[in-house]
Amino acid sequence: MIILILNAGSSSLKYQLYNMQNEEVIAKGLVERIGMDSSIITHKAKGHSEIRDVSEILDHVTAVKRVIDMLTHREFGIIKSMNAIDAVGHRVVHGGEVFKESVLVTQEVKLEIRQLFDLAPLHNPAHMMGIVAVESNLPDVPQVVVFDTAFHQTMPSKAYLYPIPTVLYRRHKIRRYGFHGTSHAYVSTHAADYLNKPLEQMKMVTCHIGNGASCAAIRDGKSVDTSMGMTPLEGLMMGTRSGDIDPAIVPYVMNKEELTLSEVNSMLNKHSGMLAISGTSSDMREITEAMQEGDKNAQLAFDMYVYRLKKYIGSYAAAMNGIDVLVFTAGIGENSAIVREAVCNGISFLGIEIDAMANQIRSSGPREISTANSKVKVLVVPTNEELLIARDTYRIVGKDKEAVSASE
Amino acid sequence: MKIKKVGVIGIGTMGQGIAEMLAACGLDVIIVERTTERLAYGLKMIELNLDKQIEKWALTHAEKKLILSRIQGADHYFSLADCELVIESISEDLEEKKALFREVDRCCGPEVILASNTSALSLTEIASVTQHPERVIGMHFIYPVLKIDLVEIIRGLKTSEETFIITKSFIDDIIHKKGIMVYESPGYVTTRLITLFINEALHVLEEGVASVEDIDDAMRIGYSFQYGPFEMADRFGLDSVLAALENMFRDYGELKYRPSIVLKKLVRAGQLGVKTGEGFFKYDEEGDRIS
Repeated sequence: MIILILNAGSSSLKYQLYNMQNEEVIAKGLVERIGMDSSIITHKAKGHSEIRDVSEILDHVTAVKRVIDMLTHREFGIIKSMNAIDAVGHRVVHGGEVFKESVLVTQEVKLEIRQLFDLAPLHNPAHMMGIVAVESNLPDVPQVVVFDTAFHQTMPSKAYLYPIPTVLYRRHKIRRYGFHGTSHAYVSTHAADYLNKPLEQMKMVTCHIGNGASCAAIRDGKSVDTSMGMTPLEGLMMGTRSGDIDPAIVPYVMNKEELTLSEVNSMLNKHSGMLAISGTSSDMREITEAMQEGDKNAQLAFDMYVYRLKKYIGSYAAAMNGIDVLVFTAGIGENSAIVREAVCNGISFLGIEIDAMANQIRSSGPREISTANSKVKVLVVPTNEELLIARDTYRIVGKDKEAVSASE
Repeated sequence: MKIKKVGVIGIGTMGQGIAEMLAACGLDVIIVERTTERLAYGLKMIELNLDKQIEKWALTHAEKKLILSRIQGADHYFSLADCELVIESISEDLEEKKALFREVDRCCGPEVILASNTSALSLTEIASVTQHPERVIGMHFIYPVLKIDLVEIIRGLKTSEETFIITKSFIDDIIHKKGIMVYESPGYVTTRLITLFINEALHVLEEGVASVEDIDDAMRIGYSFQYGPFEMADRFGLDSVLAALENMFRDYGELKYRPSIVLKKLVRAGQLGVKTGEGFFKYDEEGDRIS
């Protein structure tokens, strides 16, 4: 089965083509600057060199058509015709309270996704454009949507409600949803596989720390709490996002600095986090380098980042009354040995003992970085959200196809 | 018709604001200005304004670059040929505007919408010099364009329904402002009401009822105005307020539009408000009030 995975942004479209026989990516690429007369498509198929093409791509329908053209291209393509694509899987950021798992796209599902535009105004409309674009280019191909929020729908109300007037929850669905769900689900499953233990008997804290960052408390394979809330601003300190702050700062600063709503929003999302503290960079690699050269602000940014992450891990251990496995993933989690070490050394009282040598090893596979004596297993598990989307799509479409053939 | 490329003619204060706002909404913008010096100055002012927004955390450096990359300067109306909409924002001079529309009408295809940012002049008269008056419409933006989400859409006598519908959906859906429909009439809605308000405040002052500061506080605090009438007038430019009042006084012939003598005196003295550093109050170069 050949599955196309799409991640549609407002002016971009990322894609990967999977051959599900061996779960191999046989082509991938990116369309940028959709809506402008010089859009760029970067495409790489297995066994071919990467190509870049500039052309006019005014909407997502054209973008999907160009992607199909590339995939079926005589020279750079990898499949013979678009009929070879059996299913399409989409990443969708916000599934609200309705979607607790991945689903097949139907009229009702599309309607529900539209109703969630208010909660994810930057993302969901773009994802919808991707779905519609596939419909018009590949009308008979089944589509599946996989939500960033779905995995966290198992959170109990004591974790997902905010202590504010409940009428706000009823009226506007203001509650905690959590994000990076696909990644937390993927790495927790793989961590259990790696340890060869059933997921159902473990208390796990997964740290997805990349550009955005979130922690999840996972008990018996289910998310019971996560650090991002109604929007991806809550929780950990990030590259340019503040994470948790006293909410009273917002009206106070708006008044003192005469800021508008969009200015204060932009301040917290784009001008805060490590960028604000270091004054130079939002990138952990650059922060680490500057810190090692003696830059005090970079050191402070690093220390705050680690401190806040440590506190979340500790609070989730408390939330679950214990922790068996700690997992690091995403850009910083997979690559920054120094962050992992600083975090783990600061919470040794939980029974965490890190193996300094093992922590330094770079690899693209899952690995253990704790010592044999460590009560808590510490793992690095590279995340792969696209693969999970492909698997969900394969599972759901496969089931659907079986059902169709059974009824015939 | 989807509007993706917009021409802006004239890069004064309003032109700068309009061009910057359009580019921030993701549209490609072509600015036409008479001389390369004025064009360069206008572009520099846009850049300075973007820098100010970065200071206020509204933008990042990457976003500033992206916005600037969408704005291009040109020195002839022919460069506007592939725009779907052209917005004129030169100074409020009827004869100059008529000459401009006559020219632009020839350079742009008949389906291109030609809009004027006039705040008080007769749109019907401006449109009368074109071959296609049905595609001429008014788009009155309010300063500061980026922050004020209201546009008066002015229908001239011959403006077509289609032109109005396209303009309205452009304002609502693409630049996300509230467009209100106004039939041509001196001062439309906003200018007519606000200048009368300022003029009445001047009469209150002349009669010795209250001081400048107290009148401003009364209206700012009492009725949640962002600025009181005098600071507001300083920010509009006292000459602009006077011109609007004189225009309405002439057109309506009613005494209530007669400009206050105090206003005339200040304008004659060249004390025009924020742009000269002093009006009813004093301002620094950034436009912040210092007294």
